[in-house]
Amino acid sequence: MVPENGDARSAIRGWLQENVTGGRDVPNDEALIDNGVMTSLQTVELVVFLEDTFGIVVEDEEFDEENFGSVEAIARLVESKAA
Amino acid sequence: MRPEFTLHDLLYNSLASDPGKPAVVDGDASYTYEDLERESSALGAALADSGVGRGDRVGVLVEKSWEATVAMLAASRIGAAYVNVNPLFKAPQVEYLAGDCDIRVMIGDTHKLDELSPKTVETAFYRGAKPEGQSARFYVDVEEALRGDGLKRDRRVSESDLGTILYTSGSTGMPKGVATSQRNVVVGAQIVSEYLENTPQDRILSALPLNFDAGMSQFTTSLRAGATLYLLRSRLPGDLLKALRRHEITGVTGVPPLWALLIRGAKSLRENPLTHLRYLANTGGRIPQANLDELRGLLEPSGTRIFLMCDLTEAFRSTYLAPDEIWRSSPEQGNCIGKAIPNTDIMVITKEGEEAAPGESGELVHRGPTVAMGYWGNEEATRKAYRPNPLAPPELLDVERVVYSGDTVKRDEEGYLYFLGREDAMIKNQGYRLSPEEVENLLLGSGLVHEACAFGVENPAVGQDVIAVISLRNGAEEGAVDRVREHVIKNGPPYMVPRKILVRDELPKTGSGKIDRKGISSAYANG
Repeated sequence: MVPENGDARSAIRGWLQENVTGGRDVPNDEALIDNGVMTSLQTVELVVFLEDTFGIVVEDEEFDEENFGSVEAIARLVESKAA
Repeated sequence: MRPEFTLHDLLYNSLASDPGKPAVVDGDASYTYEDLERESSALGAALADSGVGRGDRVGVLVEKSWEATVAMLAASRIGAAYVNVNPLFKAPQVEYLAGDCDIRVMIGDTHKLDELSPKTVETAFYRGAKPEGQSARFYVDVEEALRGDGLKRDRRVSESDLGTILYTSGSTGMPKGVATSQRNVVVGAQIVSEYLENTPQDRILSALPLNFDAGMSQFTTSLRAGATLYLLRSRLPGDLLKALRRHEITGVTGVPPLWALLIRGAKSLRENPLTHLRYLANTGGRIPQANLDELRGLLEPSGTRIFLMCDLTEAFRSTYLAPDEIWRSSPEQGNCIGKAIPNTDIMVITKEGEEAAPGESGELVHRGPTVAMGYWGNEEATRKAYRPNPLAPPELLDVERVVYSGDTVKRDEEGYLYFLGREDAMIKNQGYRLSPEEVENLLLGSGLVHEACAFGVENPAVGQDVIAVISLRNGAEEGAVDRVREHVIKNGPPYMVPRKILVRDELPKTGSGKIDRKGISSAYANG
C-alpha cells in the first residue's frame, strides 16, 4: 500500500523506529545526522525504502545533509517529488 | 626549514613559506596558516592558564571543525597531549575515556558536555552556549579563549613527549588508548606525505573522523605539505560529490563504505569526471572487489591514482599497495596489502619466533619509527603487543620494541604481503575495528542479559555485520529484546549496535567453561 503524501512523516518515523532507534519515536525536527542518530549506511537504506514506498527517485546530488537532516526535511523532499 | 620534531614544527614551516595560504576550510569559512598560528597560541595560553601542564591530557570532544584542528596544535605547543574523542561515543565511553587517561581539560561542544555526568572533568572549554549541566567544575568559553593574547613562547617540547592518545576498541570491554609520541605523529606525516607526494597545491578532503589514526593523518600531512584541508562532516554521497567538485579536491582518504556511497553517484561521475582528483586512498579494511573494479573504472580514466593502505593504530601506519601494483589484490591472488611504508620494516614471524619463508604464514610484526609507546595504563596488553625485536642481533642489549599486530599474513617471492586472517575475534565494521567484548559488555549493561556473545559475519557492504546471541536473565519479560536494543543504542556508538540480536535459553560453552564464540559464530554462519 502506498501511503498518502500526508503520511510521509509518519512513514519515515515508523521506519526509523523499526530500523534505527530501537522503538524510540523521533520528533519531526530532531537532527538526525548531526546528533549521530543515523549512520550513512542507514541513510542509504532509508533512501531505498523511500524510493520503494513512494515511487520516487532520489538523485545523487539530492542525497545530502540538507535534505536528510530531519524527518521534516526528508518529508519535504518526498512531497516535492511526489507532487 | 626547522627540523621536524613536533606537530607544531610542521605548522611553523608551512607558516614561514606562505603565511596567507588557506590551511583549513570549514564550511564557508577559510582560515590561513597565520590564523592557525595565532589561534592555537591563544588557545594554548588559555589551556595553560587552566592548569594544563607538560604531559597532561586535553580531550577534544568538538565535532570535526576549525576549533578541533586548532585544539590539537594548542595542546602540542604547551607540551600537552591531545585526545580526539570519537564523536559517535555516548556518555559511558566518553566518561570512561576521561577517567582512563585523566583528562585535565575537555574541549567540547556544549550539547556533548551536557550529556556527561557531573564532575566528569575538572575544567571544560565549551563551544556553543554556556553548558547547563555540571560535567565540569569550571567552564571556559572557547570563542573567548581563541581571542586571547596568546603564548609568550612555546613550552619546551621534545619528540619523545606524548603527542596524542588514539583510542581503539579494547578486549576488556572498554576502549583502550594507544599512546603515540610526537615523533610517531611527525614521522607518520613525513612517510604518508612522501608516498602520496603531497605539495602546497594539494586540496585535501578530510572525510574521516579526527579520532581515527587515518583521519588525523590528513590533518598532519596537509599541515606538513602546506596544503589546504577541507573539513567534511557529512558522509552522505550528495555532500561527498559536491565537496569533491566544489573544492576541486586533489586527494581523498576514506574507508570502504565511503566508496560504496561514492559509487552511487556513478552516473554523475561518468558525465562529469573528477579531473582534479589526483589520488584516492583507502584504509580501514578491504574494498569488495566489485566496488574496487567499479571505482577504478570511474576514476582512473580521468587520472586518479588509487592507493590501498593498511593501518595499524599501534604503529600509526603500516603497509600500502601502490597504484601500479593494485592488480596484485584480487579474489584469485588474495588480499594483497602491499609492502611496508617507507622507513619501516615488516617482518613475518612464525610461532617459533623465526622469519617465515616466502609462502609460509606468520604474524605481521612492524618495526620502525611509528611504533607507538604502548597502551595507556595497560601493562598486560602493552607487553603482549609491544615486544623486543626478535631479529635484532644479540649484542644489542636493550633491544628496540616492535609491534606484534595479531594479523596473520604471508609474503610472496617478490616481497608482497597478503593478509590471511586475525588471531583474535576483532570485528571489522564500517572501518572500525571492534572488540566483541565491548559489544558484549554493552549488552550485559542493560541488566536484562544473562550471557552474551558477539561476533562478525561477512557483509561486503560494511565489512562485517555485528551479530549477538544472548540468553536473558530469569524473569525477563516479553519485549525484553527491544529494551536490550534500546539500551545499546542509547549507550553505545551506532557501529556497535548488533544488526541482529538472537535469544537462546543458554549459550554453548567450551571445555574450560567459557562461552564458545567460535562455535556459536560458525553455527550461525552455517544457518
